[in-house]
Amino acid sequence: MEGEKATAAALPTDETLHCSFLDFAGRWVVVTGASSGIGRAIAIELARHRANVVLVGRDVDRLAETASQLPRCEHRTLILDLASHDELAAAIQELRRDTGPLYGLCHAAGVVDTRPLSASTVPQVRALLDVNFLGGLELARIVCRRDVVAPDGGSLLFISSIYGLVGMPGQIAYSATKGAVVAAARAMAIELARRRIRVNTLSPGLVETRMTESALDKLSSQQVDKLKALHPLGVGEPVDVARAAVFLLAPASRWITGIDLPVDGGFIAQ
Amino acid sequence: MDRQEALTWIGEVFEEAPGRIGPTTAREEVPGWDSLGTLSLIAAFDERFNIQLSEGDIEGMKHIGDILEILQRHGALAS
Repeated sequence: MEGEKATAAALPTDETLHCSFLDFAGRWVVVTGASSGIGRAIAIELARHRANVVLVGRDVDRLAETASQLPRCEHRTLILDLASHDELAAAIQELRRDTGPLYGLCHAAGVVDTRPLSASTVPQVRALLDVNFLGGLELARIVCRRDVVAPDGGSLLFISSIYGLVGMPGQIAYSATKGAVVAAARAMAIELARRRIRVNTLSPGLVETRMTESALDKLSSQQVDKLKALHPLGVGEPVDVARAAVFLLAPASRWITGIDLPVDGGFIAQ
Repeated sequence: MDRQEALTWIGEVFEEAPGRIGPTTAREEVPGWDSLGTLSLIAAFDERFNIQLSEGDIEGMKHIGDILEILQRHGALAS
């Protein structure tokens, strides 16, 4: 009905949520962008499902804040700038020596820069590409090395966006980076299947995070309302994306690879 | 480059721990030396040594020693 929105059912909040088929049993998962928003929510949700997590980000204090919110699990913190691609290999190799084989990677780090085509210069576009796409690709390359990844396989998840699937004014560079992630992940899925490494992407719609808040600041309140109205189930919360991420990353989802899962409150369905 | 450095380099290409490969190690014994590993090797020869492998080179590589021989033939490995 026009103007009527469904209200999401109350979500379970029990810290000891039982989902045995999503059990990670102490496997190590690297999570980028873990200092806030979706990345932080994914790290927490993974830990709730008995994953050991590696929190990757640039801000020491905010990563410590994430760490303080983790349920009891082993974790490590890596202070890394994902645009400094040359530094990633050594950091992950050192991590591997400390933790043992890695099971998974979730690339949730991302930057957004709302600007029209006329202002989308090569350096501006490249800055987004460096973090959103190339940083994740380089991490995947290193994590999937035979001397890093667990011998029985693993799981990679890249957080894309609905803007990798549909057009939106002012999001040319962002859309390009997210579309690149989906296309590359699909190719990786095929290449890595024989090594039992699964690769998937997840495309969130509008989620309330600090990053989206600052992006929305550039829009008028009318534009923001219109954008929100495009989500039949309303605007999402980071935990909505995190739960789907845990599902795709979990060892039990062993027959799922090469897919993109929109988690968007119905945005794409229209 | 000496022999040990060459073996380390080859190990890096195939993502093998140092010391796990030697000249007599067969292709089948190196998990990373599959068709994609061969592509990585071709790219690595080109990027590191500016050596373009011929079809004969590629088909003739059955052991790690064959890779060492190619490096030697192109002057990249001290005899």
